[in-house]
Amino acid sequence: MTYTFDFAILWKFLPVIGSGLLITLQVALASIAVGAVVGFFLAYIRNYSSFIPAAIATTIVEFLRGVPVLIQLFWVFFCFPVIFGIETSPFFSAFFALMMYMAAICSESFRSAFATIEKEQWDASVALGIPGRVMMLYVILPQSLLRAAPTLLSNAVSVFKESAIVSAVGMADMMFVGRNVSSATGHPIEVLTLIAGVYFVIAFPLTRAVSVVEGRILHRLKL
Amino acid sequence: MDFHSVISNAGQLWSGLIITLELSALTITISVFTGFIVALLSISPYKVVRLPIRTYIEIFRCTPALVQVVWFFYCVPVLFNVFWEPFTMGVIVFSLNLTAYNAEAYRAAIQAVPGAHGDAAVALGLKRTQYYRFVVFPQALRLAVPVLLTNSIGMIQQSALVALVAVNDLMYESKALASQTYRPVEVFTTAAAIYFVISLIMSRVVEFVGKRTRRLIDAR
Repeated sequence: MTYTFDFAILWKFLPVIGSGLLITLQVALASIAVGAVVGFFLAYIRNYSSFIPAAIATTIVEFLRGVPVLIQLFWVFFCFPVIFGIETSPFFSAFFALMMYMAAICSESFRSAFATIEKEQWDASVALGIPGRVMMLYVILPQSLLRAAPTLLSNAVSVFKESAIVSAVGMADMMFVGRNVSSATGHPIEVLTLIAGVYFVIAFPLTRAVSVVEGRILHRLKL
Repeated sequence: MDFHSVISNAGQLWSGLIITLELSALTITISVFTGFIVALLSISPYKVVRLPIRTYIEIFRCTPALVQVVWFFYCVPVLFNVFWEPFTMGVIVFSLNLTAYNAEAYRAAIQAVPGAHGDAAVALGLKRTQYYRFVVFPQALRLAVPVLLTNSIGMIQQSALVALVAVNDLMYESKALASQTYRPVEVFTTAAAIYFVISLIMSRVVEFVGKRTRRLIDAR
């Protein structure tokens, strides 16, 4: 069997691959942004609330981290309609599953950031008469955000990479387009290598940025 | 809710679970060793060795695992004119993936050994090989263990991706069963629970080992 390389077909399919990339970025960015916020609240509940909410939040996080994201995605896509009687679009399923995954891994990052905030700050807040909610927003959040920044960034990269699975529920993301184009044209090597290259070109600088941010922040906080 | 369809088809899920466990166990075992070798090569003083190895590690760490799986399943047979079993292909591609991650874990651990130990080794007249064998590796391996275990848990979950290229693992069988029985809620919940129990057991092991490792490090 001989395989003839034909890189010219990539030009023809570039617009489709571009639209796939756009969908990948949309899903990834939406779930990264919302997931990080949800992750902060999960971590806050786990660390600073009473026993029952904390236990519930811990169970949710443990479950989300212990089950493949692919199965969570299928669960949202196939089971939400049955249980809640709502139609879940591929976009919503993809967004929801990735968002919860991001929330779960970010809650761990925030928790280890919380651990670096000294107990004295609580006493200081009480002494200054700062209410709990204000303290969360103006004392805990800024400090933990700064300390968790490198891990949050690498979580974002993980979610971006994980987003390739949304093709399994029919989202026309870059992976989906890549698979379809390569089957349709019979040129998997060119197409899939290009797809892998695009993912790499986005993810690699971000992982570099993680270590830069890490260095800067460690330097600034003198940790 | 009617778990009857799950219970009466438990055999199908069971065979899928066996495939998942076999695939993961093989991959994890292979990658613990290859990861170490690759880590050593990645800190080699020779650029000719170091550069290709670092490129390999970065490629596998910076692209989605699903892209790697699909690339491998679609392109390797065409490129090299080989036709392996899907299961074998799965083990190879995941081993390549996990090796890259494990290599980084080993490298970080090796580089975490303080440089002063090197000076001490020189002062004591240890040869370079002796220094690595008796000073660096014993410390580095202990440091790497928790990360290796975490990577391995991640691997079990990641193995679900092979379902998308028709390897009949737990994920694949549960998807098939869900569409056969029209019982997605029961089937996917059962499958999720199985994955959860596996990683719960594994993470307890990690916690235990992590505590012991910390104790060993503190005791030094």
